[in-house]
Amino acid sequence: MTPQDITKLIVRTSMKDRGAFDLLYRQTSSKLFGVCLRVLNDRAEAEEALQEVFVKIWTKADRFAASDLSPISWLVAIARNHAIDRIRARRQAPLAIDEALEIADPAPGPEAAAVAGDEAGRIHGCLEELEKDRAAAVRGAYLKGESYAELAERHGVPLNTMRTWLRRSLLKLRECLER
Amino acid sequence: MTLAEDNGPERGGDDIVAAEYVLGVLPADERRQASVRIDGEPGFARLVDEWEVRFAPLGAAYPEVEAPASVKQAIDARLFSTTARSASGQPAGLWSSLAFWRGLATAAVAALAIYVAVPMLNPPVDVPQERMVASLAADGSDVKYMVMYDAATGEVGLSHVAGERGSGKDFELWMIEGSNPPVSMGVIPVGATMKMPVKEDMRDKLAAGAVLAVSLEPTGGSPTGQPTGPVVAAGDLREI
Repeated sequence: MTPQDITKLIVRTSMKDRGAFDLLYRQTSSKLFGVCLRVLNDRAEAEEALQEVFVKIWTKADRFAASDLSPISWLVAIARNHAIDRIRARRQAPLAIDEALEIADPAPGPEAAAVAGDEAGRIHGCLEELEKDRAAAVRGAYLKGESYAELAERHGVPLNTMRTWLRRSLLKLRECLER
Repeated sequence: MTLAEDNGPERGGDDIVAAEYVLGVLPADERRQASVRIDGEPGFARLVDEWEVRFAPLGAAYPEVEAPASVKQAIDARLFSTTARSASGQPAGLWSSLAFWRGLATAAVAALAIYVAVPMLNPPVDVPQERMVASLAADGSDVKYMVMYDAATGEVGLSHVAGERGSGKDFELWMIEGSNPPVSMGVIPVGATMKMPVKEDMRDKLAAGAVLAVSLEPTGGSPTGQPTGPVVAAGDLREI
């Protein structure tokens, strides 16, 4: 499926075309389930989140027109934001130490770099310009939806320090991306 | 400490809040505030969208994992089941109750049938008598229309049930047939009941059962020939 095909399916879904919605589910649910699983790290909860994500897609598909995102990135953003809302709503559970070690290095796979074209590759290049641990914090936050509190604990720094670090990193990233 | 103060004067704090929202690091309460602003402040929503675009390439790292079939069944049950309940488990309100809509549909169709049929009490014998009806509504919108298509006259009759278009806006009616892009059937005239002629080449498609949708457009209708505003109501055209 090309991005144009997915766009058509989203537009038809906004017109309440169930056939288009079914096909959109078949084409994109694996990716969106991957997003929910990665963020929520719990299969049952990810299944429930995926349901809610597709209910949102059915009801809010008309908003796609207002976004500059590619169709698949727009769908991923809905799933990511929903999954992050869910973990933020969870009671704060302390991270087990071994679990924290296990998930400490979410570097992009080679396929990610291959998919990324010139424009898309820039975020990877700009992350390279950050200090290694800060780039890892940004990647970890994005892919797993870690909160400031979790990042601070994992990096062993006070919460406000973490926040200052990350904001500076975001400003640097913006500056690099706008170059 | 507010984020704006902390961020200094250089570019305003909103852009960094937007970045923190997209990255996902905000605590629950600040995340909720940001999410309310996305819905209510187009300028802030734009900043968020720009950061989504910047970070989107990182999303390529998410693996694809097949979801169990039960998920799609549950989605269909939530969206399309005849005994729809809202997500909280409470019975759905009157306006979203399908039974209510069916009752209303029957009443509105009867009224509309009289309205459409009276001017032509002596139709020619060889004209098909097919009539089709659609109840148009959508989640998150209070706009409701009943539509009846009369193949004999080639007209759609519309009954405006609820929902306002607002000043400087028009409702536009669209037909979606199969996998084709929506085709405009025209701007819906203001009024409680009205008729719109259907172009010859669209009649067979309507008769075959198409999806009808209403979008909110600038006065005079979509400038592009495709819907530009939100879809405020939609439904399947069915034989009666």
